[in-house]
Amino acid sequence: MPLKKKAKGGASAVSTMRPGWFVYAALAIVLIASLFPFYWSFLIASGDRYSANDPNLSWWPGGNFLHNASVVINNPAVNFWKALGNSIIVSTSTAVSTVVLSTLAGYAFAKLRFKGSGPMLVAVVATMAVPVQLGIVPLYILMQKFGWTGHLGAVILPGLVTAFGVFWMTQYISQSLPTELIEAARVDGCSMIRTFWHVGLPAARPAAAMLFLFTFVTQWNNFMWPYIVLDSKNPTLPVSLSILQANYFVDYSLVLAGVLLATVPLILLFMFAGRQLVTGIMAGAVKG
Amino acid sequence: MTTTQQQTEAPSPREPQRRRAPLTWRQRLGRLDVKLSPYLYIAPFWIVFAIVGLFPIVYTAVISFQDWDLVRNQGTLTGFDNFAFVLQDREFWMSLRNTFSIFLLSSVPQLIAATFIAAMLDKNIRAKTFWRMGVLLPYVVAPVAVALIFSNLFGDKYGLINTWLNDFGLPKIAWHVDVIPSHIAIATMVNFRWTGYNALILLAAMQAIPRDLYEAAAIDGAGAARRFFSVTLPQIRPTLIFVIITSTIGGLQVFDEPRMYDTRGNGGSNHQWETVTLYLYNEGWVNFNFGRAAAIAWILFLIIVAFGLLNFAITRRFIAGDAAPKKAKKKVKK
Amino acid sequence: MSLSRRKTTFGIAAGAATLAIALAGCSGTSSDNSSDTATTGTSGSNDAPVTLTLATFNQFGYSASSEGGADYKYDLIQEYMDAHPNVTITYNVADTSNTARENFFTKLGPGGLADVEAIEVDWLPEAMQYSDLLADISDPSLDGRWLDWKTQAATDKDGRLIAYGTDIGPEAICYNVDAFKEAGLPTDPTEVAAALDGDWSKFFDLGKQYHDATGKAFYEENAAVLQGMIGQLEAPYENPSDDSITALDNPEVKSIFDQLTTASGEGLSAGLQQWGDDWAAGMANGDYAVTLCPAWFLGVIEGNAPDGHWDIANVFPNGGGNWGGSYLTVPANGANVDAAKDLANWLTAPEQQAKAFENVGAFPSSPEAANSDAVQTYTRPYFNNAEAGKIYTERAAAVTVSPYKGSHYFQINDAMVNALRNVDTGTMSADEAWKQFQSDVKALS
Repeated sequence: MPLKKKAKGGASAVSTMRPGWFVYAALAIVLIASLFPFYWSFLIASGDRYSANDPNLSWWPGGNFLHNASVVINNPAVNFWKALGNSIIVSTSTAVSTVVLSTLAGYAFAKLRFKGSGPMLVAVVATMAVPVQLGIVPLYILMQKFGWTGHLGAVILPGLVTAFGVFWMTQYISQSLPTELIEAARVDGCSMIRTFWHVGLPAARPAAAMLFLFTFVTQWNNFMWPYIVLDSKNPTLPVSLSILQANYFVDYSLVLAGVLLATVPLILLFMFAGRQLVTGIMAGAVKG
Repeated sequence: MTTTQQQTEAPSPREPQRRRAPLTWRQRLGRLDVKLSPYLYIAPFWIVFAIVGLFPIVYTAVISFQDWDLVRNQGTLTGFDNFAFVLQDREFWMSLRNTFSIFLLSSVPQLIAATFIAAMLDKNIRAKTFWRMGVLLPYVVAPVAVALIFSNLFGDKYGLINTWLNDFGLPKIAWHVDVIPSHIAIATMVNFRWTGYNALILLAAMQAIPRDLYEAAAIDGAGAARRFFSVTLPQIRPTLIFVIITSTIGGLQVFDEPRMYDTRGNGGSNHQWETVTLYLYNEGWVNFNFGRAAAIAWILFLIIVAFGLLNFAITRRFIAGDAAPKKAKKKVKK
Repeated sequence: MSLSRRKTTFGIAAGAATLAIALAGCSGTSSDNSSDTATTGTSGSNDAPVTLTLATFNQFGYSASSEGGADYKYDLIQEYMDAHPNVTITYNVADTSNTARENFFTKLGPGGLADVEAIEVDWLPEAMQYSDLLADISDPSLDGRWLDWKTQAATDKDGRLIAYGTDIGPEAICYNVDAFKEAGLPTDPTEVAAALDGDWSKFFDLGKQYHDATGKAFYEENAAVLQGMIGQLEAPYENPSDDSITALDNPEVKSIFDQLTTASGEGLSAGLQQWGDDWAAGMANGDYAVTLCPAWFLGVIEGNAPDGHWDIANVFPNGGGNWGGSYLTVPANGANVDAAKDLANWLTAPEQQAKAFENVGAFPSSPEAANSDAVQTYTRPYFNNAEAGKIYTERAAAVTVSPYKGSHYFQINDAMVNALRNVDTGTMSADEAWKQFQSDVKALS
């Protein structure tokens, strides 16, 4: 990326300048605060059942992490691999669907002219303002009617779209995609869908990557709804890991070992998605 | 790059399309394409959303006018009784106070911090992906870990923070007794989770700003701060509006953090940190008064919409007031 | 050393259990075929293959492999499937009773609950309002299985019995031996029991002695003691005949409130909210010296104060007290109501209740189970080898009252808990808190 910049002109000092140490220092503070919960979770997950309550817990990890992790994985009640597979299916399918449908709709709202687009967008945003604490009941009645309870579909369907996603893609595309570019493609004879494919999509990529990440993580940690519609034979990770807390005295070394294991796939996803968040392709394309 | 590619791939009969003469079937198709496409693009979203998004909302609306029995899924019409009750309930006004207090304590510092973090990440730093993803880490921490960590930090007696305060000879803070400290603690939990998240959203927007704008501004003699206020902020306005509106909506619906804040999860013995959504939840799931809970949902909806519009108007005026960026933009294009 | 070794063995054992489950799953299909030949079943008509779902929460002590527990002596679920080759059981366990409650009431109407669904005594009153949606399980063979008050609480106005009793929570007093020693109080459990034998004034008197000697709080918080005191009233907050709210006119309620706020004013209450971090730490650090403890609570003390030294006094002020306990229900619209009844019936039969007690200390609601050898010889090493089985049998016998819990019980009790906590934390004076309670209760009607 910096290479591309330099190729454009060595004189452009402002945007290629390396920032000073204070930027790194400030970011480092943010990063330490971000990492702290993980380290703290690891401290307890590497201890024993009393670690979470231990006021004199050492800041140096204990040696039990692998043991605790294997207890969690081998616990038949946790059903770890099945739950992991289900979580991957649910999070991936909802994230893909949310990104695709939101990008399509967001592109339409941001750049295409059609009757009712304004009010419709307002309606989408307004639905976010209705608290969802009661939504579980009508949704359950619906899934029961569909006969989907117990199946992953009951978790996937409500996650296929979000008003948040559409609003986000609309705002991002309206900002980052110059209308001239669409017009140029249209003048060149591109059909609407080809224009979307060749102009809209590339512009939306960084936002889409982020939406994918957000949706994935949200679904990954979702508990109450999957708990209600799934059962122990077919759980997602938060549902199956919750069993570790089903005790009057909770062994948090196991709970947090489970939590950390469940976080590993997210970290892997981060490494992948992080690369997609590079500078908007459009930044130079107007001129190109 | 992309544009050049399209030019070469574009269908060849370009000339006929420009003529004003009778429409060919292809042109008609083209018009249809223009007219229908937007609807086709939004249709998949609306179809699914109508089922899983709108249906629960309509359901909530319907039962808000009834004395609703959740289990039997039936009720008796009571008109505006539920709304009247809520508006006369002391608990509602307390929860509204708490909600706004927590909202202000969280959203304002959070957005300022997020903007600054985004601006730093937008600089040409080394190991970009590493820093970006690091900032988002709090968002992935499982709720159970968040609850554990913060109850360890904010314990009234043995909490880490009070222990430190004690070490410095300062008095302990009654995090779970006094109103404002409990709000600060909850706002901290909220900020911890969402600052990095909003920072990345703003970063994505900043990254889409053509770098030439900065160069042009720099040539015009604008310093770093001036560039930030005259180029960055106006350029990311749509995203800023997005962040402010979603933060308003999310902030006024804050639920998980106050619920996790103690083991009872009802907002404190004296409703110290009971937010409106927690009040809603208690009315519904604890008191089994679902009609009333639905009424609370709609009252909160109206408050959020009103507040969201206000924020929208302020944001718009505040950022649109600066004309500099438009000039800069034109300069670059020509 | 030895500790970590034991843990390693457990890891392997757990792995072996996975394998066993997997094999059981495989043989489950083949048993469909063999069920035709299985003629030894007690009830010939029930031999068609059936899959039953069972849903509980926390730890009922039925099966370690589903409840996440480590060291159960018996696997009741497997036992049942072995005895009934045509039955396959899917066992769901919720992390908390709250999760289970939200799940239960979401599905009770539309359907979709498990064939056998556990409910906690805390939300039994709400469930009783929908007793018509639960199968009537009354049967002459069940007469006398449970303590009278346990059965009575699950019998609706039409005389239908809608739930099989599982465990109960008869309360004793647990005390911190070191703290008592420090205060110069008796430390032997029989002496402590003698000192507390009587009404609640004995309890508060001992607390004052303790406080005078050490300057420390005696019990964790007002709301914890409230639970024991209010559970001894026949009709604390509502009139059993018409469900009208009487909490504000009931002199006993006001008297309890006054006794507690006076005691906390004298420094007897540590003001640590039950189940919170400070409360758990306080148990280890000697911030309070006694707690009301049902049988299921023993594990909590062991976990929170692993290095502590607590004991059980076979006594409860003013008679007996019960805290917690659960039931199994059979939703009436389930697909396998009869088979489900058989399973719930079996799980709550005296033999199985005794085994569940051995597994997790869930004290039986069946007197026969309580009097079994397994229960009577049960001891608890952490508590100085206290004869927990015997103690709790006596504590259960002392419970004579099952308070009436009407439709507003929990809201009123919540208001009371809030009021007492506000006094505990110094947010309000006792008078202010009582006024608050009054206005909260008035808002309900």
